[in-house]
Amino acid sequence: MRTSTVASSRSQPPGWSGRTERAVGALTVAVLLAAWELAGRAGVLSAYHFPEPSRLAATIWDLVVVGFPVGVTVWQHVGATAARIVQGYVLAAVLAIPLGLVVGGVRALDQASAPIITFARSVATISLLPLAVAWFGVGELSRVLLIAYGCSWVILTNVIEGVKSVDEELIRAGRMLGSTPRQLFTRVVLPASTPRIFAGMKVALGLAFMVIVGVEMIGTIKGLGALIMEARTFYRSDAAMVGMVFIALFGFALSRLLDRLERVLLPWSGSLEEVER
Amino acid sequence: MTGRYSARDIWISWSGILFVLVVWQAIATFGLINPAIFPGPLDVVRAAVTLVPPERVLSHARTSLTRIAWGFSLGAGLGVLIGVASGWYRRLATVVRAPIELLRPIPPLAWIPMAIIWFGLGESSKVFIIFLGAFFPVVTNAYKGMTGVDPDLFRAAQTLGLHGWRLLVRVALPASLPDIATGVRVGWSLSFGALVAAELIAADRGLGFMIMNARELGQIAVIMYGIIVIGALNFLTDWLIREALFKRRLRWHFAS
Repeated sequence: MRTSTVASSRSQPPGWSGRTERAVGALTVAVLLAAWELAGRAGVLSAYHFPEPSRLAATIWDLVVVGFPVGVTVWQHVGATAARIVQGYVLAAVLAIPLGLVVGGVRALDQASAPIITFARSVATISLLPLAVAWFGVGELSRVLLIAYGCSWVILTNVIEGVKSVDEELIRAGRMLGSTPRQLFTRVVLPASTPRIFAGMKVALGLAFMVIVGVEMIGTIKGLGALIMEARTFYRSDAAMVGMVFIALFGFALSRLLDRLERVLLPWSGSLEEVER
Repeated sequence: MTGRYSARDIWISWSGILFVLVVWQAIATFGLINPAIFPGPLDVVRAAVTLVPPERVLSHARTSLTRIAWGFSLGAGLGVLIGVASGWYRRLATVVRAPIELLRPIPPLAWIPMAIIWFGLGESSKVFIIFLGAFFPVVTNAYKGMTGVDPDLFRAAQTLGLHGWRLLVRVALPASLPDIATGVRVGWSLSFGALVAAELIAADRGLGFMIMNARELGQIAVIMYGIIVIGALNFLTDWLIREALFKRRLRWHFAS
């Protein structure tokens, strides 16, 4: 590409229209899939390492109807994963939001807890897996608690930051207008920190989704993480790949849901950046 | 965070940690929970001296750090390259964005089974998973940074006679550095989680293996020690990255 065209494209909208761009994107994916299929049939790519798209399509049907391991359909996997995320997430929110509101409001508590929270956030949630297994066994409790651990520190940090970032002027104005401390809390502090709390809840859900896959790889046959790990154990690379497709869809649906929820619940909040740790 | 700290502030900061340690030790000392299951901080120190001597921990840590160094630098490097290139050449973006966006929602940990199928149980499967952890956040943020550069900056630079490569290197890259830096930090934390997970599930060396092995041996104090070492390592490296990227190079971006 010549320099002049590059330079002029800087100050102009992209050369292709939005519709053309989408078409080119779709075409790229189609070409890649076709090349993969052909290479697989010609024997260039091994069927075990790269099962062709047509085989994957058949496996999708298989997973939905018959299930893998046999009898556990993909909906049961999705259900198990979703249930764990919801339980851990709700537990984290129930613990972290009230705690954060208190800590954020009391300076000494905030200072005393800051190093602990910083370190606890640095501890990779997945590294707690052996400890959780040793304490609570390989059952559901371990998995739910690990999700809760990962989520609660993110939520806690954001709630504390949210409370701390409430404009002093607002509080003073509220006080001047004669609000009781309780009113000050419910009418001023809580609404003003809600966008930040919600931002934390959002990041936490993303984290829960990252962690759950790893946590499910040990000690269970239900759940999307278990699905792909079992598939590997039985040399079913096609089932593992299809499992990844479902994981991606699940994650995509999750973030969509949260975006919509945020728009409905908090129409006034713009998108907030994640809090610095 | 730049204000001066009084002696009282510092004392309060430490008191929280001290409190946790004291409560933790008290539970173990008074046997509220079986110390074999819930060892106290002193047991952890004892385990660190006797059960896993420092040389062993260092060698595990070296293995882990080597893996993450390879995976992360490959992932972040390729991420910057593709992100910047696709941000600069819009037509390249229309081609590479679609596959990237399709693969991006898959968490790095979900690649573990396929990584084992493709690369076996050796080093490359771990490096691959760490690579993915770094690649997606970096490529996404680099692209976002490049496409978000104020068009006025380009117009001004073009008026001053900058074109082509020099426009890219002098204007577009510096302007998108803050986004790239954010991507690098997010990528680092994802890479780190991926490293630990990969070592827990399929490894015979590394810090993740050390704690998984300790579980099989029932050495809970060693598990706790390993978790603390991994956490400290993550904290330290994240701090170094933040210092290197945000405090020095990018100071001017946050000055206003």
